[in-house]
Amino acid sequence: MVERLVEALSYPPIQRAVVASCLCGVSCSLLSVFVVLLRLPLIGVAMSHAALAGAVLGMLLGLDPFACGFALCLLTAASIGPLADRADLAPENTLGILFSFLIGIAFLGMGVLARSKAEALNLIWGSILTVSRAELLILAVVTAALLLFVLLLFKEIQAVLFNRRLAAASGVPERAVYYLLLILTGAVVSANLATVGGLLIFALIVQPGATAYQLTYDLRRFFVVAAASGTGACLLGLLVSYVLDWPSGASIVLVATTIFTAAFILSPKRLARGKRAGGRAGSGKVEGGTANGSRIA
Amino acid sequence: MNHAVELRDVSVRKRGVPLLQGISFTVGRGEFLGVLGPNGAGKSTLLRVLVGFERCQGEVSLFGIRQAGRRPRALRLRIGYIPQTLEIDPAFPIRALEAVMTGCYGRVGAFRRPGGEERRRALRLMELVRVAHLADRPVGQLSGGERQKVSLARVLMQQPELLLLDEPTASLDVAVQKEVLDLIAAIHRELGLAVVLVTHDLGLLPRAMERILLLKDGRLVYDGPTAGAVTGERLSGLYDYAIETFEQNGRRYISYG
Repeated sequence: MVERLVEALSYPPIQRAVVASCLCGVSCSLLSVFVVLLRLPLIGVAMSHAALAGAVLGMLLGLDPFACGFALCLLTAASIGPLADRADLAPENTLGILFSFLIGIAFLGMGVLARSKAEALNLIWGSILTVSRAELLILAVVTAALLLFVLLLFKEIQAVLFNRRLAAASGVPERAVYYLLLILTGAVVSANLATVGGLLIFALIVQPGATAYQLTYDLRRFFVVAAASGTGACLLGLLVSYVLDWPSGASIVLVATTIFTAAFILSPKRLARGKRAGGRAGSGKVEGGTANGSRIA
Repeated sequence: MNHAVELRDVSVRKRGVPLLQGISFTVGRGEFLGVLGPNGAGKSTLLRVLVGFERCQGEVSLFGIRQAGRRPRALRLRIGYIPQTLEIDPAFPIRALEAVMTGCYGRVGAFRRPGGEERRRALRLMELVRVAHLADRPVGQLSGGERQKVSLARVLMQQPELLLLDEPTASLDVAVQKEVLDLIAAIHRELGLAVVLVTHDLGLLPRAMERILLLKDGRLVYDGPTAGAVTGERLSGLYDYAIETFEQNGRRYISYG
């Protein structure tokens, strides 16, 4: 078995798949911290359908589907923040509206597209085993940009994640950090369409963050735990896919779900909360009370 | 000397509904101003106008500089804001000391890290508001009163000249309300900050509050000394409810019909 694995690793497509798994794991996991803490799970689906709509439009216009998908994904990401702020809508509602609009555009485009739709649909399914050198390079650049963003702006990110309004009120460039984060989300999702695809990426930009949420109260460790669990899921998923001859994307997502389930069951935070709730229920403490007269001056 | 706040004929409308109508008043530097009124009177909207979260018609001047549009960073640093509640999940990954530290991040500036001095100051402020022992506790696991004290320490980390407090005693029990208000009064006294405190609760107005604005339906109905605002007739008219006031042992009390 080990010999087979070593031999497989000598093939350039497999080497690219391993590197892509690491990059996909790191980028999606870092992103998942924001997605989970800002409660924006719909952002992955909205972005991947923006990429699908862009790819279909590109095919209709005779342009490169991947480049058009990437461009529309970035455009969508860049417009979510200003749209939500100007229209005074919650970001999740803006995402819901954009998502339905983009899926409408994608389906309309596919309806009128005379040629094969496989190229556009590839962006939804992805394949880490057939990732090209150029796609790998784009993914590496996007992952590096996200890493830099986290390292250079960690304290601003912490303030924004804690409370956007308070961050803005206390002089933190909250809007710049938030908008930059949304644009990076678009870039990460579109760069990973070739690896795990637009559907399965939804799991990878939620589950590593959700796993870390079960395990730590420290934001620095939160990023590290999320990155470790996401990258681990990608590499282990690739191995499972190779050994069992399963589709790679599905294997990665199933491994990520297993890691999350284990973290959830063993979560020290959840167990401590359960103990505290049990303690309170047993104390018989009654709170409250009213008065109809009080001192004022 | 410039006022900390000067509003002239300020109005706010949202989706056609007037939230504030023709509000004019000033807040002197170091002054303690209360804003009182029933629910929906426009008190929180008024604070949001001062922080810069709400667009308005009319003139808003802060520290003698007329404001239009988004507040520049230098000005935001001079204004500390504590919202009504700080809802946070108990599992959220931020500890009380880190939450207090976020107050100085705007002042420290981008691409720079807060050092040991900032950390020591954060701990000193946590001692001042009596939550230093909770420094390592996740903020989401603190009680309402503890969270409000952490918010006070956080806003003081910002080193503001004007403190805006939106219902700082909401959802707290009476003893904690008193403790938080005493802390606010002590902060005002010792640091000489201008304070604007919004509340709908007549029960616990700090003694340090020199002046009160009464708001009803988005309009300013009284601007004057606290003693003049606290009369049965005025409060009954403000809340549309029978309220009486009486004095005992040199202190004024209110009684709800």
